[in-house]
Amino acid sequence: MNHGFGGQSIDYTAIMPVLIVALGALGVLITDLFTREKRKHDLLWLSAAVIVIALIAELGLWIGGASTKPRLTFCLDSGHSTVLGCSYSADSFSLTIQTLLLGGTLLTVLMAPRRFKVPFGEYHFLILCSLTGAMVMAGARDFITMTVGLETLSLPAYALVGFGGRKRRGSDGSAADASTSGAEAALKFFLMSVASTAVMLFGISLVYGVTGSVYFADMQAVLHLSGYHASILTTGMVLTLAGFAFKVSAVPFHFWTPEVYSGAPVPVAAYLSVVSKTAGFAGLILTLEIAFRTEIHNLGTLIAILAAVTMTLGNTVALRQRSAVRLLAWSTIGQAGYVLVPLAVTTWNGADLAKVPVGQAWNLGPAVTASVAYLVFYAAMNLGAFGVVSALGGTLPGGGELADYRSLSSRQPRAAWPLGLFLLCLAGLPPGLMGLFAKVAVFRAVISGGLTWLAVVMAVNVVIALFYYLRWAAALFAPVTTAPAVAGAEAGAAIEQRSALSRSIPLGPRIAVGLALVVTVFFSLYPAPAFK
Amino acid sequence: MSHTTYYSAYSIVGILFLLGILFVVFALTANRLLSPFRPTREKLLTYESGVDPVGEGWAHTHVRYYVYAYLYVIFAVDSVYLFPWATIFAAPGFRGTTLAEMFVFIGFLAVGILYAYKKGVLTWLEQ
Repeated sequence: MNHGFGGQSIDYTAIMPVLIVALGALGVLITDLFTREKRKHDLLWLSAAVIVIALIAELGLWIGGASTKPRLTFCLDSGHSTVLGCSYSADSFSLTIQTLLLGGTLLTVLMAPRRFKVPFGEYHFLILCSLTGAMVMAGARDFITMTVGLETLSLPAYALVGFGGRKRRGSDGSAADASTSGAEAALKFFLMSVASTAVMLFGISLVYGVTGSVYFADMQAVLHLSGYHASILTTGMVLTLAGFAFKVSAVPFHFWTPEVYSGAPVPVAAYLSVVSKTAGFAGLILTLEIAFRTEIHNLGTLIAILAAVTMTLGNTVALRQRSAVRLLAWSTIGQAGYVLVPLAVTTWNGADLAKVPVGQAWNLGPAVTASVAYLVFYAAMNLGAFGVVSALGGTLPGGGELADYRSLSSRQPRAAWPLGLFLLCLAGLPPGLMGLFAKVAVFRAVISGGLTWLAVVMAVNVVIALFYYLRWAAALFAPVTTAPAVAGAEAGAAIEQRSALSRSIPLGPRIAVGLALVVTVFFSLYPAPAFK
Repeated sequence: MSHTTYYSAYSIVGILFLLGILFVVFALTANRLLSPFRPTREKLLTYESGVDPVGEGWAHTHVRYYVYAYLYVIFAVDSVYLFPWATIFAAPGFRGTTLAEMFVFIGFLAVGILYAYKKGVLTWLEQ
C-alpha cells in the first residue's frame, strides 16, 4: 500500500488561476439561478470579473518568480526512475499560455451582446468550465492530466456550439453554403472530437505500454534507454499527436472546422479558433518537445509535412469562401499551419535539439518561442476580426456574406478601420506589423533549423493569403455604389443584412474589439515581450 | 522481450474469442437438432410471466422520466469516485483533510441538484 503517495502536498498558489476560474464557473451558475430573466445578460460582467481575477493571480505568479523558478505540484516519486514526476507545473511556458487563454476568453465573453439569443447563465458557465480545461492543459506535465484537461475543454464546447441557431437561408436563397444549424454543428463536432480523443487515448496507451510512465519528464529518461519496441512506440506517438492535430485543426483533421464555426454562435467560433486552438497547441508542444523530445527527428519530418499541407489547403480553400465566418475558419486552418512550422525544427544553428535535455521543461528552446509568439499575435488579431464580425454580422448566417461588408467604412467607420487592421495583421502587411513580426519569427526559426523547403512553401502561402485578406480589407473601404437592383424577396433579405451591419454596437463587443485593437497596436510597435 | 512473445501473449485472447463463437454455434445447432418443434398459436405468444399479453409492444412512458434518469446517471457515475477515496481514507495521514475534501466534492454535486431544482425539473406537475 505504500507507493509513496502518503501526504502528497499540493501547491495551491501554483494552481490558483485554475481554481479561480473553476470556482468562478460555479459561482456564475449559482448566481444565474437567483437572477431575474431580464438581468441575466449582466452575468457577462461577473464572468469577465472572474477572468480578470484569474489574470491577477497569474500576474502574481509571474511576479512571484514562477517563470524563472517553476512551481511544480502534484509530484509523485515514480519508483523505477530517479526523475521526480510532476503532474502540474507553473513555469514560463504554462504561465504565458494561461495568460493568453485567459485574455482570449475575456474577449470572447465580452463579445456576447444582448440580442445574442443564448441562455446567458449556462453560456458563461460553460465557457469558464471549458477555460478551466484549457488552462489545465497548459500546466499538465503528464498524459492523464493532459487528457482530463482536454476533455474538460471539449465537453462544454459541444454544448456551446449547440447554442447556434436553426438553419437559415443565405441571401441568395441557397442554404447549402450559408449556414449549418447549431445542433448539426454540435453533433459533427462531438462525433469527430470523440473519435480523435479515442485515437489519442489509444496512442497514449501504446506509449505507456512501452515506457511504463505517463509523466513527460520521466519519459525522456526512459526513452534514452535502448531496447524499447520502436514500431509500437512510433505508432503510439503518431496517434497521440493526431489527437492534438484535431484540436488545432491541422490537415487531415480539419474537416470539422468550417462547418462547426459557421453553425456555432460567432463568439463561440472565436473561442474555438483561439482558446481551444491555443490549448491544443500547448498540448502538442508539451507532448512533442518534452515527452517525445528524444524522438523529435522522426516526428519533426511528420510535423513539417503536416504544416505544409495544412497551410496550403487552408489558404487555397479560403480563396473561394464567400461568408465571413467560413473565410475566417479556413484562414485559421492556414494560420495553424504557420504555428506548426517552428515545431518541425529539430536542429538550431547546427545544434541537435534531441540531445538537449529539457527536464520538466521551463525552457523549451528558441523554436517553441517562435510558435508561442505567433500564437500570442494570432490570438489578438484573430479575436479582433471575429469580434467585429460577431458585433456586426453575428445574427446573420455565417456572419454575413463578404459582399455585405462592402463599403463598411462609410456606414461603420469605427468598426471598419479595426477590422481592416486585423485583416492586414493576419495577412502580415504593414501597418499590421504584428502579423509581420510573427511571420518573421517563424521564418527565422525555420531557416535556423535548416528546413529551407518549408520556408519556401510558407512564403508562397503568405502570398496566397494576401489575396483573400486584402480583397476583404479593400472591400471594406470601397466607395459607396448604388446597389444593383435585386428582385423581390432577395432584395428584402439584402436590405435586412445591410441594416444588421449598420446597427450600433453594444458596450461589451466594443470593449472586446477595443482591447484586441490595443493589444494589436501595442505589439505592432513593441513586439519584444512576446518573444520572451 | 522480443516481438514474438509480445504478440503471442495476445493469442490467448484470440483463442478465447474463437471458443466463444464455437460455443454459441454448438449450443444453438444442438438445440435445433435435438428439440422437437410443434408450434401452436398459444406457444407463439409473447411470454409475460404466465399472463396473456394485452395490447401492443409499444407502451407510453412519460417523457418526464428521462430527466430523472439523467439525474440518476449523473449521481450514480459520480458516486463511483467515492470508492477509490474509501480505500485510502483510513490510511495514516489522510483522515480529517480527506474527509473534508470529499464533502467539497459532494458539495459540487449538490450544485447540480440545486440547478435542477431551480429549473423546475423536480416538480412533477407544473401548476
